Amino acid sequence: MRHTDAWLRSTGRGLVRSTVLAALAWGVLAVSLVPASVAAVSGSPWSWANPWSWIGLLLFLIPLALVLARPIGMLSRRLAARWLGVTIEDGYRRPEDAPQPVLLSTGYWWNGHSYERSRRDAELDQQWRRRIGDPAYWRDVRWLLVAAVTLGPLCAVPAAALVGAVAAFTRGTPVAVLGGVLLTAVSAASAPSAWRLLGPLGQRWLRLPAGAAAAERVRELELERAEMSTTQAAELRRIERDLHDGAQARLVAVGLSLAAAERLLEADPVKARALLQEARRGTSSSLAELRELVRGVHPPVLVERGVVEAVRALALDSPLDVRVEAPDRLRLDGPVEAALYFGVAELLANVAKHAPAARVQVRIRDRGTEVEVDVEDDGPGGARVVPGGGLDGIRRRLGAFDGSLAVSSPLGGPTTSRMVVPCASS
Amino acid sequence: MRVVVAEDLYLLRDGIVRLLEAYDHEVVATAATGPETFEALIGHRPDVAVVDVRMPPTNTDEGLTAALRAREQIAGLPVLVLSQHVEQLYARELLADQAGGVGYLLKDSVFDADQFIEALERVAGGGTALDPAVVTRLLGRPATASRLARLTGRERSILALMAEGLSNAAIAGRLFLSEGTISKYTTTMFDKLGLRDDDNANRRVLAVLAYLDDTRG
Repeated sequence: MRHTDAWLRSTGRGLVRSTVLAALAWGVLAVSLVPASVAAVSGSPWSWANPWSWIGLLLFLIPLALVLARPIGMLSRRLAARWLGVTIEDGYRRPEDAPQPVLLSTGYWWNGHSYERSRRDAELDQQWRRRIGDPAYWRDVRWLLVAAVTLGPLCAVPAAALVGAVAAFTRGTPVAVLGGVLLTAVSAASAPSAWRLLGPLGQRWLRLPAGAAAAERVRELELERAEMSTTQAAELRRIERDLHDGAQARLVAVGLSLAAAERLLEADPVKARALLQEARRGTSSSLAELRELVRGVHPPVLVERGVVEAVRALALDSPLDVRVEAPDRLRLDGPVEAALYFGVAELLANVAKHAPAARVQVRIRDRGTEVEVDVEDDGPGGARVVPGGGLDGIRRRLGAFDGSLAVSSPLGGPTTSRMVVPCASS
Repeated sequence: MRVVVAEDLYLLRDGIVRLLEAYDHEVVATAATGPETFEALIGHRPDVAVVDVRMPPTNTDEGLTAALRAREQIAGLPVLVLSQHVEQLYARELLADQAGGVGYLLKDSVFDADQFIEALERVAGGGTALDPAVVTRLLGRPATASRLARLTGRERSILALMAEGLSNAAIAGRLFLSEGTISKYTTTMFDKLGLRDDDNANRRVLAVLAYLDDTRG
């Protein structure tokens, strides 16, 4: 009794699943046949006898297939995972990997690939490049074809046989009844196994191919390069603006004051003196501005002492209670040091913003082939990496050196951010 | 005073030398690299030295290192360190030996010649001269905030000037108060902070800084 029950259940379930898969595999074809069939019935020039009119069918089929390929691919993978426990990497390019477009001084937006008139255009362009250029998308299109000729016919067997059997039974002749019994047997026998084909087929056709890993790596590096070019462009623009509006403007004012003082030197010494003082104040404030600018570009302590001491200096200047645990002498390549330094600076600034009373522990460890920097605070937690946000910025910056950022921040804290950069320390 | 000037940029070195000579100080030697600085400091034993932090050959903190090494050999050798940027880290290193005779100022400070020379003389006399930017950061420490909170606003501004290395008279001059008032303030202030009051400006600075360092963490 229990056996029969289980058998019935697995057959029923198999029947449903096989039918779903058949519909999935043939859905696009079936839908695009609808207008063509309607046309054939209503007597338009479209007819099966005229191969030229098949172009009409293709006009429906191709766009529909291109639009639905990705959803169908995703659904197939999800079904494989749910029914068979088979996980198939989708390998899609993720939108958050793409660099943020930057406004250049020319007024155009640079998205790492092309110059566009507006931010929206730059993002759209990027989105299309990502979608169309994604090999994973074309794998989905291929899957549509593969599924239509393999999964479709095989998974249609149980349902088709059952329909056939019902039709035969209704006819009632002995031969038809015999055929009906046979068809029922075929349906029942194929139902539990037909849908399982999704596993091997999916793994063969939907998965990242072996060589793709290397190709993806190359592409990732290309993306990182595009990324670097946009961040550099943004950075240069910021520096240019700061110099232009700050120090440069002030020095012009200083020059003017000096010129005026020169003229007034004999006629009105008191006023000339005031102008000279003004000029001196002007040079002082331009120096202060330049100092800030330099600190933001490449902090002098970093040049003079290296990353460990620079992080110590950062800890001293932070409004937080920061402890630093680090090896005494650790020098890395300049750009790597800068990336780690600005990472720590950003993390400390984040803590100061969201948990001003927190105690922070910074740990720098040299693991030989990689350097690990932990920043841990006992704040309320809940930090997340938001695309375009500060943490994302660190991640991108470290990405250029094959480094990574991992953030663990459960609600209630503590928050631990770990930056790892592979390198041989010198 | 006999002064050694260590600065790698010719224009700035020349400017400082001219400034010192205008104030009737004698420049006994100039240096443009780290090793030269060390030799000049040891060889000439000047009354005070003006040293730039960043110098060749490595263009890192050669000047600072040379000054620190020279002070290891000649305790309390007066050194005024100049830099394009000030770091608490360096200030702490300079003050660590507690020997006094230490200055640490931004290069801009030469713009105000009178104050610069005054600071130089203070350092030569075994006192201290710290840039206000460093002092603000030193006093801005979070761990000290709670204790500093006991001080009134006026007391805190006096403490800041004291940490720069000014004497009571100089503080009185800056704040337009009488020297007597200042010394009253300092007495209550040191009481509140639990420090020993002392008339020696240098020892006061060191006391303040040691106190700030103690409360760290």
